[in-house]
Amino acid sequence: MSDASITPLSITPRRIPSGALEAADKITVRNLNFYYGDSRALKDINVVVKEKHVTALIGPSGCGKSTLLRVFNRMYSIYPKLRAEGEVVIDAQNVLDPGYPVNQLRTKVGMVFQKPVPFPMSIFDNVAYALRHYERMTRRQLEERVEEALKSAALWPEIKDKLGHSALGLSGGQQQRLCVARAVALKPDVLLLDEPTSALDPISTGRIEQLIDDLKNNYTVLIVTHNMQQAARVSEFTGFMLLGELIEYGSTSDMFTRPSNKKTEDYITGRFG
Amino acid sequence: MTRWQRRQFTDYAAKALGTAATLFGLFWLAWILWTTVSRGLPALKWTLLTQPTPPPGSDGGLANAFAGSVLMSALAVLIGAPIGIGAGTYLAEYARHTKLGAVIRFVNDILLSAPSIVIGLFVYELMVRPMGHFSAWAGSVALAFIVLPVVVRTTDEMLKLVPVTMRESALALGVPQSKLTRQVLYRAALSGIVTGVLLALARISGETAPVLFTALNNQYWAGSLNEPTANVPVVIFQYALSPYEFWHALAWAGAFVITMLVLVLGLTSRWLVARHRQNP
Repeated sequence: MSDASITPLSITPRRIPSGALEAADKITVRNLNFYYGDSRALKDINVVVKEKHVTALIGPSGCGKSTLLRVFNRMYSIYPKLRAEGEVVIDAQNVLDPGYPVNQLRTKVGMVFQKPVPFPMSIFDNVAYALRHYERMTRRQLEERVEEALKSAALWPEIKDKLGHSALGLSGGQQQRLCVARAVALKPDVLLLDEPTSALDPISTGRIEQLIDDLKNNYTVLIVTHNMQQAARVSEFTGFMLLGELIEYGSTSDMFTRPSNKKTEDYITGRFG
Repeated sequence: MTRWQRRQFTDYAAKALGTAATLFGLFWLAWILWTTVSRGLPALKWTLLTQPTPPPGSDGGLANAFAGSVLMSALAVLIGAPIGIGAGTYLAEYARHTKLGAVIRFVNDILLSAPSIVIGLFVYELMVRPMGHFSAWAGSVALAFIVLPVVVRTTDEMLKLVPVTMRESALALGVPQSKLTRQVLYRAALSGIVTGVLLALARISGETAPVLFTALNNQYWAGSLNEPTANVPVVIFQYALSPYEFWHALAWAGAFVITMLVLVLGLTSRWLVARHRQNP
């Protein structure tokens, strides 16, 4: 059993592209604390997320990584007794400011959830749903935008002949890509992915990961994942969280090859979590 | 007797008692159904739908009673269902975790189990006395009071069954709650809500007490919604108590038709629910 403690780091992280560190800051989190009623779930989080790169959040269950993700689009605000303190600055504006319109924030910061949830309507209407609410456009323009969104979610070739079919008939992997299409249809700046592949089979997972790689050309992507190999494969930056604290944050290659914190090393090498 | 044998004996005894209790209940149900069918079926004839209720001692149909019942039930659903769906939506979407919501739910449950004769008397005081006469309007309102809590309850329950993740997915697109409710949640809960309305319809189609105090009855065709109006349950009630064979036969025929209607509504709603579960 003692062998387990000396398992070498077997995860090969992607190379960090030159210039990543010089990329513009998209999201700046300052002294963020989050509370579920009286219990403090996030403790003094400070982090900068780089524009048009993929940032992964890893950590054991209950460490607060999903909680942190759900602060970025104020998803928590639909539930009573949850509150965030501190600042999350996106494009020079503190989005936690109650005066910042939450629906506008959510068009700027899109989200894809763990379990794909297509709306009970056609594939076309799923993608057009929010577009119809926000933009006045002709049928032709709407069709173009839907097609564009489905293409950027790598779903178009499979479903282009059945746009009128119910979205509930798609496979799990297709449904998740539909959810991505639904989110990118609004052309957000930031995409939040909350364990987007944990309900999918390996092949669908591969397609989503490939998709994430394409998405970062246009979007700032934040992904929460349980799977460390996934974090290593898809991200340029990684944050490791534990018990509500951001223990370590930096380039993915550094995190996985020479973590500076003992706890990060223990987690990455599988000693706990 | 070993412990194992004792356990096996207890098991058999429990199973036997449970089965006997079920059979006992089913026996009466089957008997009621059998009586309704065996007496009602021979009494069925086309003139039921073409002729109005007869004067004492002669034969006729139930046309005016069927028309009155259909009219009042439809009006009751038209009044009760929209209000019920609205209130159910409020409970599920805006007052889910609030004290007020809990109180409203409790009161609604009381209304749900209120004896229907109380509702009949209430509407008698509310409408019949002030207006000075019985009417189809009063009958519809009384039935609407029975529709209302059923629809509130089912709408609330069905909306609560829509997964939280679907709400979050829509809200995450920056769509306001009202749009989420109308375009996503109603769609997801549609068959459940329709089921609630059908169940309410089944319930009121046989209610006697509320219409007895409000629409009363009418030997002839009612000229407007402001007149006393014939309806199947009250006609059954009166004809069954009469001394005439013809009238007994008409009462059985009416009972048979109502029973079949309730059966069909029940089966339809079960089918809708089953379809809803498979394809939420």
